[in-house]
Amino acid sequence: MSEARSVPAESAAAAAARLESFSYDDAIVRKFLFATILWGIVGMLVGVIIAVQMAWPDANLAPYLTFGRLRPLHTNAVIFAFAGNAIFTGVYYSTQRLCKARMYSDGLSAAHFWGWQLIIVAAAITLPLGYTQAKEYAELEWPIDILITVVWVIFAVNFIGTLIRRRERHLYVALWFYLASIITVAILHIFNNLAIPAGAFKSYSIYAGVQDAFMQWWYGHNAVAFFLTTPFLGLMYYFMPKAAEGPIFSYRLSILHFWSLVFMYIWAGPHHLHYTSLPEWATTIGMLFSVMLWAPSWGGMINGLMTLRGAWHKVADDPILKFMVIALTGYGMATFEGPMMSIKTVNALSHYTDWTIAHVHSGALTWNGFLTFAMIYWLAPRLFQTELYSKKLMNTHFWIGTVGVVLYIVAIYSAGVTQGLMWRAFDETGRLQYPDFVETVARLIPMYWVRVVGGTMYLTGVILFAYNILKTWASRPATYVVPVIQAPSLTKVYVPEPLRPDVDVPTTAWGRFVNLTFHRAWERAPVLFSVLTLVAVAVASLFEIIPTFLIKSNVPTIASVKPYSPLELAGRDLYIREGCFNCHSQMIRALRFDTERYGDYSKPGESVYDHPFLFGSRRIGPDLAREGGLKSNLWHLRHFQNPREVNAKSIMPSYEHLLTDDIDFAQIQRRVDAMAMLGVPYGDAIGHAPEMARAQAVLIGTDLAQTGGGPGFETKEVTALIAYLQRLGRDIQVGQGAVSIKSTAPATKGAGGTP
Amino acid sequence: MSLTQLMSGANLDGYAQVALVLFLFAFVLILWRVFSPRFRAQYAKDALMPLDDEHPQTPRTPGE
Repeated sequence: MSEARSVPAESAAAAAARLESFSYDDAIVRKFLFATILWGIVGMLVGVIIAVQMAWPDANLAPYLTFGRLRPLHTNAVIFAFAGNAIFTGVYYSTQRLCKARMYSDGLSAAHFWGWQLIIVAAAITLPLGYTQAKEYAELEWPIDILITVVWVIFAVNFIGTLIRRRERHLYVALWFYLASIITVAILHIFNNLAIPAGAFKSYSIYAGVQDAFMQWWYGHNAVAFFLTTPFLGLMYYFMPKAAEGPIFSYRLSILHFWSLVFMYIWAGPHHLHYTSLPEWATTIGMLFSVMLWAPSWGGMINGLMTLRGAWHKVADDPILKFMVIALTGYGMATFEGPMMSIKTVNALSHYTDWTIAHVHSGALTWNGFLTFAMIYWLAPRLFQTELYSKKLMNTHFWIGTVGVVLYIVAIYSAGVTQGLMWRAFDETGRLQYPDFVETVARLIPMYWVRVVGGTMYLTGVILFAYNILKTWASRPATYVVPVIQAPSLTKVYVPEPLRPDVDVPTTAWGRFVNLTFHRAWERAPVLFSVLTLVAVAVASLFEIIPTFLIKSNVPTIASVKPYSPLELAGRDLYIREGCFNCHSQMIRALRFDTERYGDYSKPGESVYDHPFLFGSRRIGPDLAREGGLKSNLWHLRHFQNPREVNAKSIMPSYEHLLTDDIDFAQIQRRVDAMAMLGVPYGDAIGHAPEMARAQAVLIGTDLAQTGGGPGFETKEVTALIAYLQRLGRDIQVGQGAVSIKSTAPATKGAGGTP
Repeated sequence: MSLTQLMSGANLDGYAQVALVLFLFAFVLILWRVFSPRFRAQYAKDALMPLDDEHPQTPRTPGE
């Protein structure tokens, strides 16, 4: 922020002499545009497939194409592949033009593009294979996480390098949103993915239980904030004026919008953990900041919509503006509803139900989807230097997509509220009105079919969109014209603009302070701006997260809670591999209807050895936190073999392969050792894990044989999974009556679980 | 003494409130700057940036 105040005015001739010629790199924009369309179709197709699986469980094709493995593929594909490539499309196009500069390095641009596509392909292969960290939107295993870090740094260097080489003095607000997104996503990604490898594609989070949950939802919420919101706001602040052919309604409001989001968003994550074992002070802070987000979010939405003032007549005739209006309306809806759902009493009803799914999709399908479509429809004729193939097709896409969204969200809101009300319904005798969980699922099936119809319509619209863009591309000229732009380079020194035409900047420090010239300086200093954003995000994060990690009273330990035995740990890894946490929670909230159905509420000390935590965020099946001992080993065997043989209305996939595939005993030692490195007191299991696992497996296998399950299961994966399920929630029961909530580390000898 | 013991004994509760007040103060300053009528013209000029792909909107040379 160096400011020279005594530099003489430069002559026009000198300025002319500094004119530089350059051109924009639109080839990289075209690449990202095509990747956006390709991965959009893939991600949304997988979405339709898993929607069908929810309504018709026989559509699950185990082991690789079950809901548990495909759901993270869907979320990763639409968030990081579709929305990610859309962000890069818009960022690469707008940054060059807002900076009047070519991207810093064509080589870095290419490395970013191909590196990102490699990450997506790696995700598409590893997730169906069951390689997952079990953290929502952060499922990818450690080698891919490292690749993401490298590619993100490449992107950051390329972006910041372009800002430094720019020929505009002021940084337009869209660039602020991009910069904040780049910085914050980097912080989120690194801290949430810290893990100890236990194999080529297996790792354990360094955090455990409630601390891991806190870290994950700090990440998860801010992934929505800084991947699906702030970069798209940057795109909106650039492409809305382009499409409306006029400046944004209030540029000053956009600056307020930016700082409000940066200050507030980072605090809101704990609202994902209301009534759980996270300390209440943290969830209350999360709720308060979420509610405060109402104001800037709606300010931003109104700012976008008001940009169309005087141009509303164009909306009826221009499908691009229609897409943008729906996108902004969706942003407004989602950012009204999100704070509402963060209010504890509302969250008690909505959490773990389809309401959350409807909320996410009402935002994603409109705000992210429609804004992307609008941007690409606007870009296509300019990038391909020809007319758009069909405006009529674009209009058809708009309407089929809009009706698809309405069908989707009406059905799933209905499903969510229905399920939430059924869970909490008590009859006149004070008992649960729907004690059998499956009743609350069976009631939703018709709504799940409506979602299939809505999702298919939306996907059909995207296919029309792809066709339209491809036909436009097909009519491109033989050679693209690359305009050469001329502009003077920025001088190293800068004299602040006068406060008003006849009032110079005050010479005293106090005078400059009260006139806040520093903000004007921030607006043109990308490195300082990055540091300030980093400080805002990091300080807020640290103040919220550190107490839970470092103050003992936040996570009191329980003496009777011991580590999982080696076999149970192997079973837990299978639970993670199959993605069971996508449908089953392991967190009984301190709410009467939860404790009536599942037992005593979950305590923070119960999950101190859970690397990673498996609280879940959705109940398509019942909570399993106290599953241990509720059912026989044989029941579990039959249930995995064919859930509908045990429970006719179940929509759980069949996992017959668990009955035939062998336990990988050789891997168990390595995994126990990795857990021990994280401080889990494994005692005798260190060095003897496979033998201990085999011994416990023989006990379960013998029980299965004696109760009619058949022989030979002591070496099969299902035995390990049964061992894990039978352990859940048992430790605290063992200690009942003598459960001592104490604040010292648990015993470190003799652990290893009880067969 | 472990880090956890140290942090538990440090009684840092008040620091979060201090951070909150500092952030609020910074936010109010920004608000004041951005909505001060004297800077309206500057921001109106900045708002035009997306509309011109070829010509820089903001001053690039000293005294310009």
